[in-house]
Amino acid sequence: MAEPAIQKTPETAPGVHPKPFWSFRPRSDRESGDAVVSNFMLHWFPAKVSKASLDWSYSFWLGTASAALLLLLVLSGMPLLFLYIPSVERAYASVKDIEYVVTFGSWIRAVHRLSAHLMVAVVVLHLVRVFLTGAYKNGAGRGQKRPVNWVLGVVMLLLTLFLSFTGYLLPWDQLAYWAVTVGTNIASSIPWIGATIRELLLGGRAIDQPTLIRFYVLHVIALPGLLGILFIYHMWRVRKDGGLARADREGVLEQKAETPPGPTKTYTLLGVARGQAPAIRAASLEARDTTVNAVPDLVRRAAIVVLGTIALVGMLSVFFRAPLEEPANALVTPNPAKAPWYFLWLQEIVTDTTVHIGSFTINGAFLGGVLLPGLLLTVLTFWPWWDKSPAAAAGVWLAKSRRRQNLVFLAVCLVILVFTFIGTFLRGPYWHFYWPWEAWPEIPGRI
Amino acid sequence: MKALSSRRELLLRLGTGAGIAALTGQAVASLRSLVPNVSYDAPTTVKLGLTAEFPDGLKFLPEQRLFVFREGNTFHAISAVCTHLGCTVRAEALPRPEEKVVEGSPLRLTHRFLCPCHGSQYSGDGGNVSGPAPRPLTWYRLSVSPDDNQLVVDLAAPVEPAEPDGRLTLA
Repeated sequence: MAEPAIQKTPETAPGVHPKPFWSFRPRSDRESGDAVVSNFMLHWFPAKVSKASLDWSYSFWLGTASAALLLLLVLSGMPLLFLYIPSVERAYASVKDIEYVVTFGSWIRAVHRLSAHLMVAVVVLHLVRVFLTGAYKNGAGRGQKRPVNWVLGVVMLLLTLFLSFTGYLLPWDQLAYWAVTVGTNIASSIPWIGATIRELLLGGRAIDQPTLIRFYVLHVIALPGLLGILFIYHMWRVRKDGGLARADREGVLEQKAETPPGPTKTYTLLGVARGQAPAIRAASLEARDTTVNAVPDLVRRAAIVVLGTIALVGMLSVFFRAPLEEPANALVTPNPAKAPWYFLWLQEIVTDTTVHIGSFTINGAFLGGVLLPGLLLTVLTFWPWWDKSPAAAAGVWLAKSRRRQNLVFLAVCLVILVFTFIGTFLRGPYWHFYWPWEAWPEIPGRI
Repeated sequence: MKALSSRRELLLRLGTGAGIAALTGQAVASLRSLVPNVSYDAPTTVKLGLTAEFPDGLKFLPEQRLFVFREGNTFHAISAVCTHLGCTVRAEALPRPEEKVVEGSPLRLTHRFLCPCHGSQYSGDGGNVSGPAPRPLTWYRLSVSPDDNQLVVDLAAPVEPAEPDGRLTLA
């Protein structure tokens, strides 16, 4: 008896995706949209994006670059997780092994360190770009909450800095030890609660094993996890706010263009007869001349940025090895003891802000290390609510209506840069001031 | 009908509340476990060695981050921990020792102290002269242990830089 022939399921049916992958070279809008919908990695992309928001010279793709650096940090962190030992006795030796014994170890460490440094720089530049374009402002779209995304971004910048801080502590070399000393003493300069905070950070009153394990866990789990969650939320909010600020500006503010009748649209016979239907004047995001499909246009550019970043860091890391100072020595403070470049402006500020008023003294540690940065951070965080410029200024480089605030912002940036420059190039032994052409004096070794 | 819906409401709230309370309790317990109950600090009363081992002038003890000065039979100890942000200051010998009256008793100043982290400067008696240091360096009480005649410092006892607390004169 012949078996009944099994009906083969048709290749195409609603909800069926016959191929194992998706097309990056779609032949139709449908295939293009399908690539986004059916791919988990791409589902947070819109089907269509505004052409203008893809401009290299609008965003410089700094957010994408920082995400690429984060990816690179996670990837290069993986092998380091296997090789590093978070113990005060063995941490330095394990890093030294990574640097000098492990095959490709020094390159992996260089990639990790270089990505971290670049990430600080790129994240800050991203913030500068968003400020100067007023991209934290709600534009034309309904229900936008761009200020929320700005606040998220500020928090992520802080996390990036704290990740860097906890990261350079792990080798437990001189830089690490004295950075913990100074960093936690800044925390302890806060009136009343300072000592408690320091004890909580150190896991005791002295810098020892509990300190290292705390910073280690923060560095490898707590902070990256938090940053990852916020990153996802950040991206989701970009999507929900209608893409980059430039996009919704374009949707409403620019001259409406005449849309020719498209093959997918249906028109009433009456409309066609009266000549109304084809003459739709629209500037919606669907308009063909202002938008492109996310696949492949957005994906292609994102891929260029991500792969370009990875390639750049990978190659630079061959030439720029990560330094390792002498092992942590509680007995000797290096002279001068300098923080990494992105904290040098703070080091310069805590140097200059101790104030004596009569017999009353405010420690620069509190004024310059806590109060001033705290104030700066507060203003930065709540700036979107203070900015009363019109919505039309959203997504415009150096908008006229925001000129004054852009100037103030740039002035603050300049001051920070100047302080960074002084700290980096003009400070020598005992944090004395030296011009670049002045030689540093010979300082005898120990005392 | 209304009674039923309000009972549902009540149970829903009870359930939600219990869930939140349980999660909060566990979160608090987890976080509280990270607050150290004990700190295994180094002892604060430390024997520094026989008095004869201390030369006239200054001796730096890196383990205790302490400068011990001797002037004949008189000793005093000044902390090397910068009062600004806790780096270890370095002593620099003065070209010519200076005489200064500190809290009523004369003191020969042979050094000054400089901090490598943020450039604080202290005079030979620990006074903050320039830079961001908010306070003078701390003086600690010195004594002689009765059992073996070693010099003993009490790092938990900051003292005024004067007799009888700040200066130890051997008989």
